Amino acid sequence: MKLMYDLPEADKAVLDAAMDGEEKLMYCLPFTIYEDKFVKGYMAFTNTTMYKILDGKLLDTWPIIGSSDFKTEVMYGCCGFYAKVNGSDTLICQFVSGRDLPRYAVIVKACEILNEQHQKKVDIKTLKPITNSTPERFCPKCGRPYINATTICPYCMDKKEIYKKLFAMTKGIRLMMCFPFVVAVFSVIFQFVVPWVEGKAINEYINPSNGVHGPMSGFVVIVIAIVSIDLFQRALGVAQGRFSAIAGNKFTLMLKTLLYEKLQSLSLASIQRRTTGDLMGRVNNDTSVMQTFVVSQLPTYFIQAVTFVLALPVLAVMNWRMCLFVFVPIPLVVFIVAKVWDFVQDRNRKLWVLSTRTGYLLHDILNGIRVVKCFGQEEREIERFKESSIRSSDQSESNAKIFDTIFPLLGLLIRFGSYLILLYGNMLVFHREMELGTLHQINSYANMVYAPLMYITFIPRTISTFMTSASKVFEILEEEPDVQDIGLPIDISIEGEIDVKNVTFGYESYNPVLENVSVHINPGEMIGIVGHSGSGKSTLINLIMRLYDVNEGEIKIDEVNIKDISQTALRGQMGVVLQETFLFSGTIQDNIRYSKPFATEEEVIRAAKAANAHDFIMKMPEGYNTLVGEKGYSLSGGERQRIAIARAIIHDPKILILDEATASLDTETEKLIQDALTKLVKNRTTLAIAHRLSTLRNADKLLVLDHGRVSEFGTHAELLKNKGIYWKLVMAQRKMNQDVERAQAEKAAAEKAAAEKAAAEKAAAGA
Amino acid sequence: MAEDKKKKSAESEKADDKENKKAAAPEKTDDEAKKSDEKPKDDKKELLDDDDAGDLILEHQRESIPLTRENAVFTRSKGNLISLKLTKPDGEVEEFERVVVMRAFPISNPDEFLSVREPDTKRAGQGHEIGMIRHMSDFDDATQKLFLEELDRRYFSPKLIKILSVKDKFGYLYWDAETTSGHVTFIMNNPFSNIRVLDDGRIIMHDIDGNVFEIPDSSKLDKTSFKKIEIYL
Repeated sequence: MKLMYDLPEADKAVLDAAMDGEEKLMYCLPFTIYEDKFVKGYMAFTNTTMYKILDGKLLDTWPIIGSSDFKTEVMYGCCGFYAKVNGSDTLICQFVSGRDLPRYAVIVKACEILNEQHQKKVDIKTLKPITNSTPERFCPKCGRPYINATTICPYCMDKKEIYKKLFAMTKGIRLMMCFPFVVAVFSVIFQFVVPWVEGKAINEYINPSNGVHGPMSGFVVIVIAIVSIDLFQRALGVAQGRFSAIAGNKFTLMLKTLLYEKLQSLSLASIQRRTTGDLMGRVNNDTSVMQTFVVSQLPTYFIQAVTFVLALPVLAVMNWRMCLFVFVPIPLVVFIVAKVWDFVQDRNRKLWVLSTRTGYLLHDILNGIRVVKCFGQEEREIERFKESSIRSSDQSESNAKIFDTIFPLLGLLIRFGSYLILLYGNMLVFHREMELGTLHQINSYANMVYAPLMYITFIPRTISTFMTSASKVFEILEEEPDVQDIGLPIDISIEGEIDVKNVTFGYESYNPVLENVSVHINPGEMIGIVGHSGSGKSTLINLIMRLYDVNEGEIKIDEVNIKDISQTALRGQMGVVLQETFLFSGTIQDNIRYSKPFATEEEVIRAAKAANAHDFIMKMPEGYNTLVGEKGYSLSGGERQRIAIARAIIHDPKILILDEATASLDTETEKLIQDALTKLVKNRTTLAIAHRLSTLRNADKLLVLDHGRVSEFGTHAELLKNKGIYWKLVMAQRKMNQDVERAQAEKAAAEKAAAEKAAAEKAAAGA
Repeated sequence: MAEDKKKKSAESEKADDKENKKAAAPEKTDDEAKKSDEKPKDDKKELLDDDDAGDLILEHQRESIPLTRENAVFTRSKGNLISLKLTKPDGEVEEFERVVVMRAFPISNPDEFLSVREPDTKRAGQGHEIGMIRHMSDFDDATQKLFLEELDRRYFSPKLIKILSVKDKFGYLYWDAETTSGHVTFIMNNPFSNIRVLDDGRIIMHDIDGNVFEIPDSSKLDKTSFKKIEIYL
């Protein structure tokens, strides 16, 4: 990411004048909004001071050293960079969020580091600017945005490189893929031969200019020739269809498999950088686009190009005047096709948007039908749907009307050249300057020139669509997994000792989530992890599972650095229960033995029993064969959770990880799961993120994280004695329980009093 | 992405809080804790865990109160932002060096329902709402001016005066336009979802950089400008 922009001359001069000799320019970023106007100003950050410069004027300076609370605030339509200068929050500058927010986030960090170092009495003159490897969202060459979630610029990408890669990928099916081109050459030849033979038939047999018909046998030969050429051509067509189907599908299959394999081998970090939709799009749509291009569009263009290149000179040689007629409507046609295409595209897109909106609406309403009924809003929903349907149907109607007018007109225009040729040709034939067959031949060739012309206008679009898809696919294929096994990874049998040493980690390197965390966990211990949201609980667990690699420090399991353990061995001996359980479509049995596909039925039942899941599974008619997931039986949250627990323990993991496994469950279910967990944690190292006191009380030790640092580590009793964060949390909880109880007692007392009063009144009335 | 994660867990924890009914205000808990500290300590009682049911409360809440001319005095801070001197219902006075003013309905009702909040800080995390202002006009002119200054900064959506050109390249629209905040070029993807026509006829446009533009009345645009945008409406 660029953190040092070049200042314009005038601004540079101003800055140079303002800086004293000791200062060193560290960062320079643009700011784009000033006093409600779009501007092009610059913020210069030296090792002591920030300068705000606009159009050769120094607007303001603030000290960095001594200021605090540097931060960015995202606002509506813009962002602000704030700092506490001389004890007062101040808006330093405003900028457009998209491009510069990540840059200012780095500056925030940089300013903090500068102050930290200054306090430590480090000479700040010696500090170097921090760098950041986050990729830009915009092409540095042309400033245009990259294709979503990629670093590909559709303008600047190396097209040759992509063709090369594509060619390398066609290994094994090249012969089959060449076939369409062979067929293309044949069909072009025939296209030329047929009019010539037909012309000959007309000139010599049907309507000879000298009035003398040729011999019948010659005519029969010609007819046979035409028929056999036609047959041969059709046979070739059938063969081409088959071959391109085979080649195309092989190509896509190969591409999809490669892509999917690659996706599975990538780390969680690279997967999560992209959305599920984006990845699915690349595997499904982009590969199809590539297939269509390679096996169908490319040969078609090839045919068209060859036809055009050949037909033109032939035509010119036969009659150059008529050849010129062909060109009369061409500029107009090309122009109109290009214009009309945009128009048609826009209209189609609009229709598409309207009909998807209607689709979404329908989806939405049907999904929320219970809410609609509960609140009696049927009428309104009918209105809403009707309105949306009418809009899309109106659009569809008007599109159809327009298209059905435009395209016939366009056809007419294109044929205009043909009419000229016919007119002029007929004159020649009347004056006996040309034979009828030749006219037919010329007319056929003229028509052959038009079809490629129509295609020419489409070619750039098709190629750009293809290029975009291909580069998206190749981007994934060429990505280096960032969590990788070392050359010779160790397969160890884990005992369960975990040693986290001075670990620092952040999802973005400039923003550490964990800072210098050290914890030692003995085998078989259960550790409860407590902390505010964003304190790094889940991150710590992700690091121990090695879903990410640490930035600094190391994590050891049984004295071995986890980077040296093979990922399969490591995860094969860990069991994980997440807060949101995900069950795959399939039977309960399949889901339980997901981590151990060949587990026996005994093992499955044992795991289910240990997870307190056996009983509810047996209550279902199909038992362990019940289908669950998207299309199957719908399980309650607690039931899903218990299946997830069974899945986590079937392979008897030495390390068990519970990421808020019992949050958001009712007390009854929680108790069942708690029981299950109590059984499970024996002889296993367990890490549990939890808020429930009952869970935490069972833990051997508690780890309290606060803003990415370990603030407390010890047993429940120890932490209560220490009166730190944990103690405060427990006290707050107790107080709330007492409040609730008191409120309930008060309410009960009030009710009792009211009842007594009522009874007394009743008695009084009776008396 | 990490932020998303944080948000998610923050949300879930908020939900937890709701489950636990209203959580006590942080200051109060601390006070209570101190009081119990002063009492003769009963270590055994503290280590007795029988009443430790339920979840730990990890997020503190602050009780939001209606802000009026009577209980809230807004002044310009040293850093040219807004300071607040608040008199709480119990008579206690609390001062804030800086508060953030935000609109609850920035598009449909910008001058009413303003939320006055503590700024987010790295140490304390998300800022809590101090209180809400029902009508901006409840306050005197100077204060209103102060609010508007802050709001105009926070809500930056220049109005399009003239659209010079719109070009469609590789699925992105490249705009060139004159706005009330000067000449601007911007890039937009997916115009059909990023150009929103409101019920009252206003048009709100978002570009890929996070800019927001507004067309207060499309019928008042000049003809050539309107033609350029018409297809996306």
